[in-house]
Amino acid sequence: MSMGIPEIEDASCLLCFGYNGADSHPIVARRIVRGRQKGMKIICVDPRVTETARISDIHMQLKGGSNLALVNAMANVIWKEGLTDDAFIAEHTKGFDDFLKVIEKYTPEYAEKICQVPAETIRQAARMYAVSKPAMILYGMGVCQFSQAVDVVKGLANLALMTGNFGGPSMGIGPVRGQNNVQGACDMGALPNSYPDYQSVTDPAARRKFEEAWGVTLSDKVGCPITHVPHRILHETDEKKKIHAYYIFGEDPAQSDPDLAEVREALDKCDFVIMQDIYMNKTGLHADVILPATAWGEHDGVYTCADRGFQRIRKAVEPEGNVKPDWQIISEISTAMGYPMKYSNTEEIWNEMIALCPDFAGATYEKMEKYGSVQWPCRDKSMEDRGTPYLHKNGIFATKDHKALFYGTDWHPPLELENDEYPMTLSTVREVGHYSVRTMTGNCRMLRNLEDEPGWVQMNPQDCRRLHLSKGELVKILSKRGYCITRCLPTERVKTGATYMTYQWWVGACNELTTAYLDPISNTPEYKYCACRVEKIDDQEWAERHVKELYAQIRTQMGISAEKEARS
Amino acid sequence: MNCFVKGNPDLCIGCRTCMIGCVVAHEGKHIFQVDPDSCSFNPRLHVVKTASLSVPVQCKHCENPACMAACSVGAIYRRDGRVLISEERCIGCKACMEACPFGAITMDTAAGTLQADGSERKIAVKCDLCSNLPGGPACVRVCPTQALELVTKDDLEHSAGQKRARAARAALSLQLQNQKCEV
Repeated sequence: MSMGIPEIEDASCLLCFGYNGADSHPIVARRIVRGRQKGMKIICVDPRVTETARISDIHMQLKGGSNLALVNAMANVIWKEGLTDDAFIAEHTKGFDDFLKVIEKYTPEYAEKICQVPAETIRQAARMYAVSKPAMILYGMGVCQFSQAVDVVKGLANLALMTGNFGGPSMGIGPVRGQNNVQGACDMGALPNSYPDYQSVTDPAARRKFEEAWGVTLSDKVGCPITHVPHRILHETDEKKKIHAYYIFGEDPAQSDPDLAEVREALDKCDFVIMQDIYMNKTGLHADVILPATAWGEHDGVYTCADRGFQRIRKAVEPEGNVKPDWQIISEISTAMGYPMKYSNTEEIWNEMIALCPDFAGATYEKMEKYGSVQWPCRDKSMEDRGTPYLHKNGIFATKDHKALFYGTDWHPPLELENDEYPMTLSTVREVGHYSVRTMTGNCRMLRNLEDEPGWVQMNPQDCRRLHLSKGELVKILSKRGYCITRCLPTERVKTGATYMTYQWWVGACNELTTAYLDPISNTPEYKYCACRVEKIDDQEWAERHVKELYAQIRTQMGISAEKEARS
Repeated sequence: MNCFVKGNPDLCIGCRTCMIGCVVAHEGKHIFQVDPDSCSFNPRLHVVKTASLSVPVQCKHCENPACMAACSVGAIYRRDGRVLISEERCIGCKACMEACPFGAITMDTAAGTLQADGSERKIAVKCDLCSNLPGGPACVRVCPTQALELVTKDDLEHSAGQKRARAARAALSLQLQNQKCEV
């Protein structure tokens, strides 16, 4: 995020795009609600009536998969109506004229046909965003989980650039991340192309620095993105590129990745799979080795918040049983593989890391203790350097010539569209009671009382009437790749023709249906769009029994017994 | 005058933390340790979501409670500014549930008590404003957006006073306008 989360509530206008804070991050949603109370204008772009949509000034309930057409149309209005910040564009940016050539055809009338949002509403929204200062953009997985994702992120950045909404507090653009500590994982170099602090693996100087520090030779090749792994196991013909071993930790691809049938096949065909997690999960069922790790509350560490803020997490209870913190497991594996790794605590690891990372160099444990959160860049160890709440101060950007670049692209539709056999669309979403896959929250038995297997499919009441479905009824939902059984939830908050499911349920596993089409740059799958069909199940008694059996079967496979659970 | 807890739909984000807080307040901390199937999960307030609204709904602690009038065994009574249901007296006839205009009463199993035939005893339950808890209603305390508030007699009188002042000002300006018209 270019801004800090506490700044949200002081924006004059918030453009909330494909981001459902109330379900994903209630603590961030609190800032949005508070901002609203302070008079912040809200423009919400979401195909569903989310909690933010409910309290917004303008809700653009667009058709899923039409994001870029809408963003380009907003840019078109801002330009045509002379609402641009010309001084900012001239002084701090490049490529504006080329960008205009791309957005020229995206008149609100043109976008209306694609987005199903009235042209006049697009105009009003563009005006509201452009004339409010400071104006902030927050976006979530409703932007990122499409085959055209990075283009939309850049499109949103274009809006902020052309209105001069960078370089001060409560402005800019903020990706509110999909998972806890995604920001931290990226910061630490858990990406195929970078070392910690986004230092490129293909940059010889950076590589030399890490080689010297660690006393090893490092590869100069970009690694394999997680979403390419099934292909590299199953279909790779080049033996050098074929993957034979897969070490997975804190991740449950057999639940969270698209097209689960393919993921399972890949895990089964992979020669060696290690799973390291806090509880048994779907991936564990396909693993050769399981390494039990400590959970949050059982270990120390540092998380990075979506707004670049490093925060300490502390051990609250002593772990029981044969579990170890992830860093200890990694050290022991590394040592066993011939590279001795020894640390006595997480601070030692942290200090080694920040010594190699200029942007994090000043974020010491001492500072995190004192200030609670230290937002990078924080380059100086002195206590006066408290980090950077917002980026690009005074319009100075992190490019070589300090200028931001406009980047215009044309919209393209999602890659699997509705058809005669699969006439509806499926988008995967979140719900507030459960975090990500259910590895953690599925084991919080209290939450089972609010939501339980096999989950729900949200559908418009009109579609339910057409299919003769009522609330709570078990239905079969299918795509080209697979099917699952879940419960029907009629709600006027979604449009006709669209369905929504949360992705954590073991029985109602919507990723059996999703497609593995990826954004070409981020390699994120198109979780938010695939074609599906909902079928009524006539024998509900059988279906109820069947769901119970399926659930019991999975639990038995995982070695979960009610008695053990009660004791734990 | 009785107090009641009121939800504000402008602040509610529909997260249902209030429902969990309610269950914890009434079941005690042991629910985190026991088999979930062996304890009762019965929140006394419910988050309602419609097309354009999200807000928790619960007992209004009416001054003339329909539930109390409908109860044929005198199990519903008033004490310390709240309307309460006596667990001992309730026979589970559900008349109060039908009478309540807010849908604020649900049926729940009475913890640890069995009937003569060995079956579970079911009784009517509803918001009791956490009468046994220091610090007031749990739902108000746990809400992340402060969307719930305990409305007291003083709050109502203060708000009514403000409305009266507004009405008085409006009447005055109306009178001034009329005078101008007459001139």
